[in-house]
Amino acid sequence: MHDRILAALESSTADYTEIRLEEKEATAVAFRGRELETVSHVIDAGGIVRCLCRDGGWGIATFNNRDALVEKVAQAVQCARAARSDTPIELAPIPIAQDRLTVTLERDFRGVPLAEKKALVEGYNAVLLGASDRIVDTACRYNDSFSRVTFASSEGAFIEEERPMVVMYFVATARDGDNVQQAHESYSRLAGYEIVQGLESLAETAAQRATALLRAESVVGGRYPVIIDPRLAGVFIHEAFGHLSEADFLYENPAAREMMTLGRRFGPDFLTVFDDGSLPGLRGTHKYDDEGTPTRRNDLIRNGILVGRLHSRETAAKMGETPTGNARAVNYRYAPIVRMTNTAIAPGTTSFADMLQDIELGIYACDAYGGTTELESFSFSSGYAYMIRHGQLAEMVKDVILAGNLFTTLQNIDAIGDDFQWSHPGGGCGKGGQAPLPVGMGAPHVRIQNVVIGGK
Amino acid sequence: MDILQRLRAQAEQVEVFHIQSESTQVRFEANSLKASQVEEISGLAVRVVKDGRMGFAASSDVTATEKLLANALESAAYGDPTPFTFPGPQDAPDVACYDPRIAELSISRLVEIGQEIMAYLREVDPEGMVSVELRRGMERYTLRNHTGAEVAVTRTPLTIACGVDRVKGDDVLMVYDVQGATLWNEGFMAPVQRLAEKLRLAQQVVPLRAGRMPVLFSPLGAIVLGFPLMLGLSGKNVVKGVSPLAGRCGEQVFDPRLTLVDDATLPGGFGSAAYDDEGVPHQRTVLVENGVLRGFYYDLKTAARAGVPSTGNGSRGLFSQPDPAPTNLLWGAGETPLADMLAGIEEGLWVENVLGLGQGNIISGAFSNPLALGFKIEKGQIVGRVKGVSIAGNVYELLRHVSAVSRETEWVYQNFNQPYVLLEEMNVIARE
Repeated sequence: MHDRILAALESSTADYTEIRLEEKEATAVAFRGRELETVSHVIDAGGIVRCLCRDGGWGIATFNNRDALVEKVAQAVQCARAARSDTPIELAPIPIAQDRLTVTLERDFRGVPLAEKKALVEGYNAVLLGASDRIVDTACRYNDSFSRVTFASSEGAFIEEERPMVVMYFVATARDGDNVQQAHESYSRLAGYEIVQGLESLAETAAQRATALLRAESVVGGRYPVIIDPRLAGVFIHEAFGHLSEADFLYENPAAREMMTLGRRFGPDFLTVFDDGSLPGLRGTHKYDDEGTPTRRNDLIRNGILVGRLHSRETAAKMGETPTGNARAVNYRYAPIVRMTNTAIAPGTTSFADMLQDIELGIYACDAYGGTTELESFSFSSGYAYMIRHGQLAEMVKDVILAGNLFTTLQNIDAIGDDFQWSHPGGGCGKGGQAPLPVGMGAPHVRIQNVVIGGK
Repeated sequence: MDILQRLRAQAEQVEVFHIQSESTQVRFEANSLKASQVEEISGLAVRVVKDGRMGFAASSDVTATEKLLANALESAAYGDPTPFTFPGPQDAPDVACYDPRIAELSISRLVEIGQEIMAYLREVDPEGMVSVELRRGMERYTLRNHTGAEVAVTRTPLTIACGVDRVKGDDVLMVYDVQGATLWNEGFMAPVQRLAEKLRLAQQVVPLRAGRMPVLFSPLGAIVLGFPLMLGLSGKNVVKGVSPLAGRCGEQVFDPRLTLVDDATLPGGFGSAAYDDEGVPHQRTVLVENGVLRGFYYDLKTAARAGVPSTGNGSRGLFSQPDPAPTNLLWGAGETPLADMLAGIEEGLWVENVLGLGQGNIISGAFSNPLALGFKIEKGQIVGRVKGVSIAGNVYELLRHVSAVSRETEWVYQNFNQPYVLLEEMNVIARE
């Protein structure tokens, strides 16, 4: 295959050509309620050719049949010539890598019999179902995948990489008459089978929470001081701020560039936010991105000031900055676009107890059930939440949706916790039709004043 | 030997699903034609029932048949007892979903259409950043099973998406529309013109006082009401006991002005075809009629669990087993002209689009969303865009009483046809 890839690259008449081939094997076991819904084993093999003609644009061909690479290159070149970008597209230079990355799994899930995977999930599902007679439905799902990705470019890059992934999801649905409540938990690593064993307590947590939510009252809408837990804080910084740091949103939009001018104050002195694709063991970690650029730590906000952003080679060239290793593609069906890797709010110095003690009436919001942003505006529903009364955690409340404006919300952060943690949920990030892309999120507890909470 | 026959020798039931599709796409970003893309998709998926248990495997490497067979049989060894049988050969209605005018659209023609859309939107908003994406596809699949049934479907889906982002200081406005069809329609500019009208109306920002007021949902905005219903009407959520509508067929659950129909036979609909993805003939399914719950949409498995026939709503990708999904979901038109609905509003909110659609506990009918785009209505007129506004409620309560449903309907999100819906009073949260 190595020689065929090089020959296909050689045949290209475009200014730049890259080929990415992927072979993936994946298994899934899923229970829903008492029923085994899926035991499946799939093979996904395909590739993408991406060409750039500077006076045209990008041309892309994706395919399953990898026998005709030269023909696919020709198709992509034809597409690139059909495009007509107003200004020539340039690619910022990167070190050219030739590398072979293999992984050693403690317990390779490819060697684990389906029978064992089924028994594992069945056991967890029994924990979900058995937690309470209020549990009327569950979703209990195991997925693993092992991909071999080969990336080669006309600049001489040739990177072969193995990418393992294993994930366990738990959803518990509790019902009492018309009152239906759900709770989710998940755990995922780029690792072997061992990390999804022994998760009974996580399943139990999901089931207990769904049951507890049946008794929770809806929160009364209004403005509150809010403490968000590390998981919600991680989702918040990813969704509400991280996406604005992706330079593909900025690079051709003068007004957006102005909004995200480096040096602008975004928050208090003690707020630092970074993205780092090079940290070992996290879900968004890769040695190289999908353009072959080495990943690294990129500070986005340092001491409250906007200091950086995330780039592909194209956006970096356009903005006169350096590629940051953030061009990622969810699979061979897609060209890489600017994405986050592992994004985090750096730890602060306040303890959780100190954050709580001077809140007379507030909300402690935990985990995210979903979140979306449209640039300055964001909306998140927390998975579960508690009222804070007289400096102490009080009753559980439901339907807690945090909405607001990013700029004012970041300015309203008045404490950052000393209890930083990375979270390892399943799922991933979606952008431009590409989902789910595995990403890492980290944060400590964060306190924000004057947050609008939607409720009934 | 043929894969179907080989598996038949080892299992009671076999189904082989073969996809072979291609598409062309052109993408304009930030006012310029950025990329074009061709895509070729092929793959095989098999379902087998052996000793009463279901197995599933799929591969996009069509040469890997040995492994595919082994994976399917291994999976069946651990599968659950299967409550249904694959359907025998059945006639289906003629459904128009293939159009050579779409099949033969060239890259250069797609580029021309994209340029026309872009030029139109740029003229309306010279400061905005316009994006346009066009995708024409040729979808082919064949489905064969052990009964001798053999179904071949060829469709030509065309998607036209366009959007404008405008950033002024810290004010960001984003409008977006996506349309889809399987028959060519010369009127492709009409939704673009509607989008442009929204842009014009959004120029002016006006304050809105929080509180209870009449709320008018546009067809796009009404998706916030329709989306929880779509989940509640899914046969899967019914047999799992999580749909609030379960067990209520025949009851007057909504306002008599509410009618919902899933119609896969609609000529040219984005979700139209003669058969569903399990070889069941497509049909028109009345879900809610004048507010009375009539039924749910099912695939083979959920229908068997519910003890009813499949409604032909089995939907699948290559790598997943079928699940029930709506095809073309139509919310029936009402009798009131939109102009009359507007004229009767002294002070109210027009919901055009929300953030976070589908987030939260929506199976219960609850929603709570900030508006991505909303307008203030004053004395029967739209007076400007509102910011920092959220709405919340439960569709099962709100839709018991609807003030008016418009005579006009529009296609949104490709396969939803929706009217304008007026609710007399809703709580509106506004940040000053």
